[in-house]
Amino acid sequence: MLKFVVRRVLWTIPIILLVIFMTFWMMRAIKGSPFRRSDKAVPPAVLANLNRNFGLDKPWYVQYVRYVKDVSTLNLGPSLVLRDQGVNDIVREHFPVSAELGGLAMLFAAVIGIPLGILSALRVNTWIDYVGQFISNLGFAIPSFFTATLFIYFFGAQWRIFPTNGWDTPSSKVLPVIALGLFPLTYFARLVRGQMLETLQQDYVRTAKAKGLRWRRVVTVHVLRNSLIPAITAAGPILGGLITGSFIIENIFAIPGIGRYYVTSVEGRDYSTVMGITVLLAVLIIIANMFVDIAYGILDPRTRDARS
Amino acid sequence: MAVNPEEVDVRTDVIRHEIAASDWEAGGAIRQASLWRDAWRRFTHNKAAVVSMVFFLVMLLYVIIVPFASPYDPNAVNFNIAYLSPSLHHPFGTDEFGRDLFVRTALGGRISIGIGFAATFAILIIGVLYGSISGFVGGWLDNGLMRFLDALYGLPYLPFAIITLAIFGTVNFWTMVVALTIASWFTTARVMRGQIITLKENDYVRAAHAIGARWHRVLFRHLLPNTLGIAIVFIFLELPNVVLGEAFLSFLGLGINPPNASWGSLAEDGNEQYLSHPLLIVIPSVAIAWLILTAFFVADGLRDALDPRSEAAA
Amino acid sequence: MALLEVEDLRTYFKTRSGDVHAVDGVSFSVDRGRTLGIVGESGCGKSVTALSIMGLLVPAARIETGTIRFDGRDLNRLSEHELEDVRGRQIAMIFQDPMTSLNPTLTIGMQLTETMQRHLDLDRGEARKRAAQLLEEVHIPNARQRLDDYPHRYSGGMRQRVMIAIALSCNPKLLIADEPTTALDVTVQAGILDLLEELRDEHEMSMIIITHDMGVVAEAADDIAVMYAGQIVEQASAEALFDQPEHPYTEALLGALPQLEGENVREGRLTAIPGRPPDLLNPPEACRFAPRCPYAGGDSCTQEAPQLREIRPGHLVRSAHPASERAGMPVGASA
Repeated sequence: MLKFVVRRVLWTIPIILLVIFMTFWMMRAIKGSPFRRSDKAVPPAVLANLNRNFGLDKPWYVQYVRYVKDVSTLNLGPSLVLRDQGVNDIVREHFPVSAELGGLAMLFAAVIGIPLGILSALRVNTWIDYVGQFISNLGFAIPSFFTATLFIYFFGAQWRIFPTNGWDTPSSKVLPVIALGLFPLTYFARLVRGQMLETLQQDYVRTAKAKGLRWRRVVTVHVLRNSLIPAITAAGPILGGLITGSFIIENIFAIPGIGRYYVTSVEGRDYSTVMGITVLLAVLIIIANMFVDIAYGILDPRTRDARS
Repeated sequence: MAVNPEEVDVRTDVIRHEIAASDWEAGGAIRQASLWRDAWRRFTHNKAAVVSMVFFLVMLLYVIIVPFASPYDPNAVNFNIAYLSPSLHHPFGTDEFGRDLFVRTALGGRISIGIGFAATFAILIIGVLYGSISGFVGGWLDNGLMRFLDALYGLPYLPFAIITLAIFGTVNFWTMVVALTIASWFTTARVMRGQIITLKENDYVRAAHAIGARWHRVLFRHLLPNTLGIAIVFIFLELPNVVLGEAFLSFLGLGINPPNASWGSLAEDGNEQYLSHPLLIVIPSVAIAWLILTAFFVADGLRDALDPRSEAAA
Repeated sequence: MALLEVEDLRTYFKTRSGDVHAVDGVSFSVDRGRTLGIVGESGCGKSVTALSIMGLLVPAARIETGTIRFDGRDLNRLSEHELEDVRGRQIAMIFQDPMTSLNPTLTIGMQLTETMQRHLDLDRGEARKRAAQLLEEVHIPNARQRLDDYPHRYSGGMRQRVMIAIALSCNPKLLIADEPTTALDVTVQAGILDLLEELRDEHEMSMIIITHDMGVVAEAADDIAVMYAGQIVEQASAEALFDQPEHPYTEALLGALPQLEGENVREGRLTAIPGRPPDLLNPPEACRFAPRCPYAGGDSCTQEAPQLREIRPGHLVRSAHPASERAGMPVGASA
């Protein structure tokens, strides 16, 4: 058991290195030095100095190694644009906002989506199911920038219930969280519904009923467990979806999160910030997947024995 | 995912009505059902899938035909007719520059859907290649690659797409296609590899080998038809993702440069004025939602139709 | 009074093209302490009959008519709540595929004790003790340790034994075994059948064994009902059936058995029954076996459906041409 966990954790290291490598190369491929802006002509001597300062004149492998060393000590380097702030500072300032937004959205999606899926499956093909499916499909198809806009239009402008800017008061968090959480909600609902429908058809559920167990117990002990466990594997893609969504939502609701900052960094050619954030996000996903793997191994006795 | 337990898995003692095999005596006419004919029949009986397919095709026809048929120049600026409401002359109204939205949306659709299909095919090819190489070569190569993809499952495509676009410097049709492809292939390759390995290990492939079938016969008669089925379903599943991805990028301002517009950039346009003229963002959003919904239901129907295990009673 | 009396059971499945008459007028009874074997080919309705008794049909199926009298009560009239009290406690059922019939994420011990905690008033400690006893009864070694194992650690034969243990855990009056040996190796089959017999004697249980294998009923059943196309076509005690089969279908089934020794040794090909069972979506008006029957002919086969009649005391047959009325009739005589 422990061996399984350790092996799993160790495997993430070479993969993180690989991702850093890939990101590193992609960043280098972006034409244009951060210091050569179209509106400012920087004297070559100063340019050389800046390059040397940031280590941009060293060969790529040196830069790469230095970067890896830095990352492993959780130092994401200096920002190439904001002279007085390092990437770490930027992350420290903006990431918690995004994390809170994402966390609340995920919570919203799970708390509403999972029971919706369960209910749909247990009342399959009734009007409850159809309504649930309808909501699911809408939430899935309508692009989040549209729902966000709709929210702002109705709740913000017309009816003035919730604020639509910023992230300071609790009520200003309502609309963005719902807008961001809508898609994962439908994902959860559909996933759980499908898993449950499949589980309900399994032979062992029939056995449980044949034993005369009360239906409530059959559902909670036999059906739910085996349905929800596979749903855990969706954690990775859901997290990814939240990250993607947050770029949009933060943009629309003017939330000072990392998603919004990313775009500005790219436009401003801030190498290290872009790379830092990208690496951070990738590492997040990798770690999330790792946890999912481990959790799956703990919860499903079959994988545990097969893997170890 | 649209499982109807009323019609699925009518348990063991119910006699099946078709046997895809040679003839028997007695018992009435037995249809000789091939896989494709069976699938076609199943698909056409699925009302939701058929309706969605029709709507999907209607959308395709719209984006293809309207730009040819429309009398308006999509780029002509005429402030006199700006912000017109929908009418017979302008079914979708006009935008802030007086341009007809009916034809602009169609053109936007060409670009969005075009990018969608192009990127989807590219992702499909990469995924199948990857899956085939990995699945057939096996060993440490497969193992390593698989772990790599497993760890990155669900990696958000936006950051990588953005970086790729920045590398290219400009954003046009093809750079967008490449960016979306590069950003999205991870998840697909993983899925494809799984599918190919399942196919390869399938008992009927082993049976074919066992009776001495040559590798090319195995390939063409067994593997390819099944892969084709998976590929078709995949196209309809991935298309919405890609189109949405392009829309998101455009919405963030990183999209195709004007005057070419995609649905995403039309939405971005509309976003700046939705408080006063909501139609400008509603139309492209509805178009995107239309594509996503129809493609999804078609994919669902195809998946049910092509999966011989799902016994939708005849 | 018999323990179980089924009268004119009809179970239909709703499909897109109409109702499939999976069970079309089946009646039989099981006395206390006796074993009834229900034999027939795949699709004849034997499993559906069992599921109808237990009330475990899929939503697409319904019991159209019929009474299922168990211990005086009509199970068909009970609410789901009441049925839940009967299942597992009065009537237990084991299924065909032991690999999938156990929940892979729960320990064997848990799956045993939950039944007992549900029906008997045992606390966890007592239930566990009894669970270990049950495992020993079905001859699983190291019972106490194996309680905490998961199903995937058990072989197919052992899992089936566990299923039997679970079924027996609350001392049911009737055990229904649906193809209990079909998914197992031949060598393991005999062991399971022996075990069932042993337990039946010990617990004074009635049993219904459902199978397509004549060999299994020959060994295990006291009485046998042969089913074809949703109906019972012959019913008798086991000796009577093997001694003097009446229905052409029964004869064909027996004829299809490989004989390795004894007076009926045959060399050459096994006799197969040509043709397929009829489409139960629209059951024919005439005798359902007629298209495949070597003796079919005349109106009584092709126009009307023969009724189940008593040809000898205790021996029922549904045929216009049972063996004992067939003296001198050439094979293949058709109108």
